Amino acid sequence: MEPVQLAAILSGTVLLASMVSVEIGVSVALIELAFGVVLGNTFDLNPDASWLVFIASFASVVLTFLAGAEVDPDDFRERFWASIAIGVASFAGPFVVATLVAMGPLGWSVKASLIAGTALSTTSLAVVYAVLVETGLNTVRVGKLIMSACFVTDMCTVIALSAIFIKPTVWFPVFLVVSVGLIVALPRIAPWFFGRYGDRVIEPEIKLVFAILLALMVLGQEANSQAVLPAFVLGLVMSRHYRQHRKEQERLRVVAFAFLTPFFFLRGGMNVSLGAVFANIGVLAVLAAAKLVPKFGLVSPLARRWVPEHATFTTLLMSTGLTFGTISALYGLQAHIINRTQFSLLVTVVVLSAIVPTAIAQRWFSPDVEAERADDARMRLVPDRKGRGVAEPVPAPEGAAR
Amino acid sequence: MSPYEFTNVLVAIDGSEDSRKALDCAVSVCASLGAQLTVLGVEGKLPAYAASLGEVDDVKREKDEFFSRVLAEAERDAHERGVEVRTDLVAGHSAEVIVHYATAHAHDLIVVAHHGHFLGDVLLGSTADRVAHHAKCPVMVVH
Repeated sequence: MEPVQLAAILSGTVLLASMVSVEIGVSVALIELAFGVVLGNTFDLNPDASWLVFIASFASVVLTFLAGAEVDPDDFRERFWASIAIGVASFAGPFVVATLVAMGPLGWSVKASLIAGTALSTTSLAVVYAVLVETGLNTVRVGKLIMSACFVTDMCTVIALSAIFIKPTVWFPVFLVVSVGLIVALPRIAPWFFGRYGDRVIEPEIKLVFAILLALMVLGQEANSQAVLPAFVLGLVMSRHYRQHRKEQERLRVVAFAFLTPFFFLRGGMNVSLGAVFANIGVLAVLAAAKLVPKFGLVSPLARRWVPEHATFTTLLMSTGLTFGTISALYGLQAHIINRTQFSLLVTVVVLSAIVPTAIAQRWFSPDVEAERADDARMRLVPDRKGRGVAEPVPAPEGAAR
Repeated sequence: MSPYEFTNVLVAIDGSEDSRKALDCAVSVCASLGAQLTVLGVEGKLPAYAASLGEVDDVKREKDEFFSRVLAEAERDAHERGVEVRTDLVAGHSAEVIVHYATAHAHDLIVVAHHGHFLGDVLLGSTADRVAHHAKCPVMVVH
């Protein structure tokens, strides 16, 4: 099939996915992924066409950059130790268990098992955010803690994903130095660059971000590594700038979601073999358990310590996954670390983990936001010795009845 | 004394033409009974299973802007007809939030529109059906 023919079919599918997404209120990414599965299993389309592989790879790096840029670092500081503990446990438990399960009973290679561990340890900040905003919980302590913990898990995921691929070449130090240099320099030059060249229809600020991300991809490739970690950190250090310049972030998002990310999710779906999934339902169940059981085993006790009334809600939301799980699996497939069957199983578990825990959390365990607001009013954040926020009850006024 | 002294009426609107009729009806009821009216904007659900925070933020912002216009219009209309009114905006599953809000704020009458979404109504029942089923106070469904 000619590239233009494949592009036309996929573009039509992307358009249809957007319309369905608006009509039924489900994220366009999930619809694109689902439509990709239908296309891949119904028609003889090539998900490995070079242009599609390139756009999907670039989209994954842009998505990672956006994930970093959308985080509010000030929120993260509010409950530092609780976020770190829950976030790290949420990553480490499933990472270790899923890796060992894949390596042992399932007989996957070490690298394939590490990809399984990474893909299944993720938590979807965006899925969680939608639930919290919808209920107003993003403005109360429990919601902020969950968001911060999700961010910590995301950070662990990108570190793991980068570490798995490292087979240092002579280019690795160059990749490292350039990454650190950009992370230090971009937030400093951005105000000048965006002020001088920004806010024009030719969008130099988007071109700057794309040029930097592509340079990181090239160096990452030469260094036998991945640009995912520097892209995420770069987004993170730019988040404060974007917070003050919302329009710039919106335009970047528009370009990414209109042209890049649809092909990433479609390609992800096209690589899922439904036959392989149905033929390995038992393996699917084992992988799902390898994700969920350690999440409950480790996150739940910690959540019970910091948010005792909402430990199950917190644990369920920390069990979700979508974007980083898909990115991890697709990286593994692209690098021929995992095969199509393994990819299909991992992506299916990731998608199910976006849907099932969210639905259960919303239906049965959603906290009452008004009660949480009232509860928050009785607490205050005080800085610890390092200036990080710790919650403590507001002391009763002198003379108040006890 | 009748157990049905309607003094605190809630009307839920989503900005549609049908909900406009429900608002008109609720304003008329409040004007004739001297009841206080609360107009509740129900934003509905945000994109489920989003891939980016921006996707959620964009939809939320669009909905907030749309509903701030709709609620301002509703408030103006009610004032012009001499009805004491307050407005509020909530997001989430329509039937659930309407019932929860009415209970939490001690409303004694809920007014909702009956939408004509054929497939959704047949398969799941309409929002009005679900509100009528679960509400703890009388419900007026406006066709």
